[in-house]
Amino acid sequence: MGAREGAPPEGLLVVGVDIGNSTTEACLAVVAPDGSITYLGTDLTRTTGVKGTPDNTEGALKAIRGALARAGRSAGQVETVLLNEATPVISGLAMETITETIITESTMIGHNPTTPGGEGLGVGTTRSIGELGEQQPGEPVVCVVPHGWDFDDVAAALNAAVAAGVDVVAAILAGDDAVLVTNRLTRPIPVVDEVAAVEKVPLGMLAAVEVAAPGRTIRTLSNSYGLATVFDLDPVQTRQVSPVARALTGNRSAVVVRTPTGDVTDRRIPVGELVLHGAGKTLRVDVDAGAEAIMEVVGRAQPLDDARGEPGTHVGGMLAQVRDTMADVMDVAGQPDVPVSDIAIRDVLAVDTFVPAEVRGGLAGEVALENAVALAAMVRTSRSRMQLVADLVSEGLGAAAEIGGVEGEMAVGGALTTPGVDRPIAVLDLGGGSTDAALLTREGECTAVHVAGAGELVTKLIDSELALGDREVAEGVKWFPLGKVESFFHLRHEDGTVEFVDQPLPPHVFARVVVLTPDGPAPVPTRYGLDHVRRVRREAKRRVFVVNALRALRQVAPGGNLRALEFVVLLGGSALDFEIPDMIADALAPHGIVCGTGNVLGTEGPRNAVASGLVRAHAALLAEEARCRSS
Amino acid sequence: MTTPTTTAPERTVSLREVGPARRGTRPDEVVIALSPAFAGHFTKTIVDVPHAEVLRQLMAGIEEQGVTARLVRVLDTADLAAISHTAARLSGSGISVGVLSRGTTMIHQKDLPRLSNLELFPQSPLLDAPVFRMIGSNAAQYAKAESPQPVPTRNDQMARPRWQAKAALLHLKEFDCIEAGRGPVEVEAVFGPGTAG
Repeated sequence: MGAREGAPPEGLLVVGVDIGNSTTEACLAVVAPDGSITYLGTDLTRTTGVKGTPDNTEGALKAIRGALARAGRSAGQVETVLLNEATPVISGLAMETITETIITESTMIGHNPTTPGGEGLGVGTTRSIGELGEQQPGEPVVCVVPHGWDFDDVAAALNAAVAAGVDVVAAILAGDDAVLVTNRLTRPIPVVDEVAAVEKVPLGMLAAVEVAAPGRTIRTLSNSYGLATVFDLDPVQTRQVSPVARALTGNRSAVVVRTPTGDVTDRRIPVGELVLHGAGKTLRVDVDAGAEAIMEVVGRAQPLDDARGEPGTHVGGMLAQVRDTMADVMDVAGQPDVPVSDIAIRDVLAVDTFVPAEVRGGLAGEVALENAVALAAMVRTSRSRMQLVADLVSEGLGAAAEIGGVEGEMAVGGALTTPGVDRPIAVLDLGGGSTDAALLTREGECTAVHVAGAGELVTKLIDSELALGDREVAEGVKWFPLGKVESFFHLRHEDGTVEFVDQPLPPHVFARVVVLTPDGPAPVPTRYGLDHVRRVRREAKRRVFVVNALRALRQVAPGGNLRALEFVVLLGGSALDFEIPDMIADALAPHGIVCGTGNVLGTEGPRNAVASGLVRAHAALLAEEARCRSS
Repeated sequence: MTTPTTTAPERTVSLREVGPARRGTRPDEVVIALSPAFAGHFTKTIVDVPHAEVLRQLMAGIEEQGVTARLVRVLDTADLAAISHTAARLSGSGISVGVLSRGTTMIHQKDLPRLSNLELFPQSPLLDAPVFRMIGSNAAQYAKAESPQPVPTRNDQMARPRWQAKAALLHLKEFDCIEAGRGPVEVEAVFGPGTAG
């Protein structure tokens, strides 16, 4: 790096430019020969193209010109443009379901219709409503009503049967009629409705129907011994039905039919083994052991050289998918393709999650929360082409442009301009694809690590756990607080406070859970309540950012001891989040660490750290002093 | 074997006036507002869904949600937005369902501007009994301050050219039944043969 000689007396105009995954930031300053810096202005704009490619030039020039315009300087006065050496990591995501619930022989209905009818428990033999007339009095009967029956006719038929002495103890309906039918019955019985595949309910079998009072859950059918009592089961059979009881837990209504071989299985899908190479060892871990076990093994294989999945298994497919995506990103026109087998995965973050999935063999579209594992993986690349970007910027601006330094070290330099911090200082850059940590010791040594998993993974977890199926909506849930529009003139925030508005809210948000974007409330299309959405959002953030913050800081902390850190500064886009900084600060508080969101230059918040760090490093070079001088 | 609905004798309905419509105080009611000629001059919608069935399904959808339905006939206008909004302001929950004789339906709320709505079902030829059930159910869920998914609205490009003339005629007839100057009246539905329970 040049620019050490011949500084003009009044100081040099220098611009630091940080090209990030989503934003490009510029910092303009005058550097005096003695190394003192006068900051003139900053700017930020969207990154054009994929980070580290020549497409970035346009955004970089825009940010530089923006900063110049704010400071009232012209492009001709600029002496040097400093670009960051892009973090050489790319990250990818994959998710795989590891459990599956299967109902065989239509033994169970546990789909929780919103409006079942009646309450109590009814045990009897299943009979079609058409056969009620031929039924002998005395024997208890569970009436099964197929599609196409009107609620008035059903109620009339049931009342007629009861009048004729048939002991109708419960009913199973195809349509959404349970309350309507029970309201018209002379003798109240529990009724379960909205059973879409009602024709598959086996007839002539002993069945139990249970409906709990509003706001309560069933007690008998969700209890293994309750089932044993109802169906007179021996201990071996009781063991067999225990998955049924477990599957029905938390429902307001349920039906269990006793068939000779019917069963509910909670099958674990063989996902395969994850093979981790690192620290001179090769460790293997079953992915269906869950995130905790995987992360424990990943921790033992640090630093990781590569991770592979057993070929022909789900995990093999997951990692192959990640590698393929990365090969696409790294492919550069005019250069030979990157062989997929050469891509080494340098970090893995596993997160336990769940995916609402329709139960196989279910009669009423039952949905079970299946366990899943999400993997974020990170790859190192040597193909950063920042030099090319620097050349293009130089050409476009008519000033010298050079690569100013490694991102992690520059970020620390920028973070030091936050009021109230001192060495040793650690920064956590909470980005979109990876979480980066860097530590500057009191002696001026700098270490940096990158770990997989950040904002993108949080969005994906929110999307799948709430079954939104829309990345934009999930992004909204991640970024903004929630509220519930209770009338056209007031909404209740997620902390319970009520806000009144002067102008009526638009009809499409009426009675909905909304995210409070700066442009006004936007509806979240979900049937879950506000509390559930909030819990999913916070859990997703905790499992990714808090876990990663601790993991990354342990890797840079001397001896892996968090107590050796004194100041932790949060930077990056996700540090602007309304709750992630608090969650991380809470997690670090027991270790006696001062943690907070950075305020670069005392004005920029968590933004612009790398750009101003570049200027600082350059100034230090100019003054021919130690790079990590205390300010 | 008891006969299912499809072959049951057709149900009929007549509306009996019980006096001027009052403003409701119960928060668990949805007001169904009927146009001047509903179940009077006309007995079927534009696609021959009997008015008895329209009303039964709307009321059933509301009842299934544990909410009560109150019927009101609006006499001085044939404009759906006006009918629905009048009813919304009479409704204890502030929620109403307005229906025209030809079948066009709307869910309204008292705080909305008159020409706005919560859900509108403008293509009367596409509305059948299951849709009316869902409309009733959604209106009741709004009354309970729940967040129902809007009833999926169907769309048929050919509905307009095919039915517009008939719809215009039906509207003129409806217009003829307007009794200017009379306020909304509370009505009771008396269902005819085929009904039980």
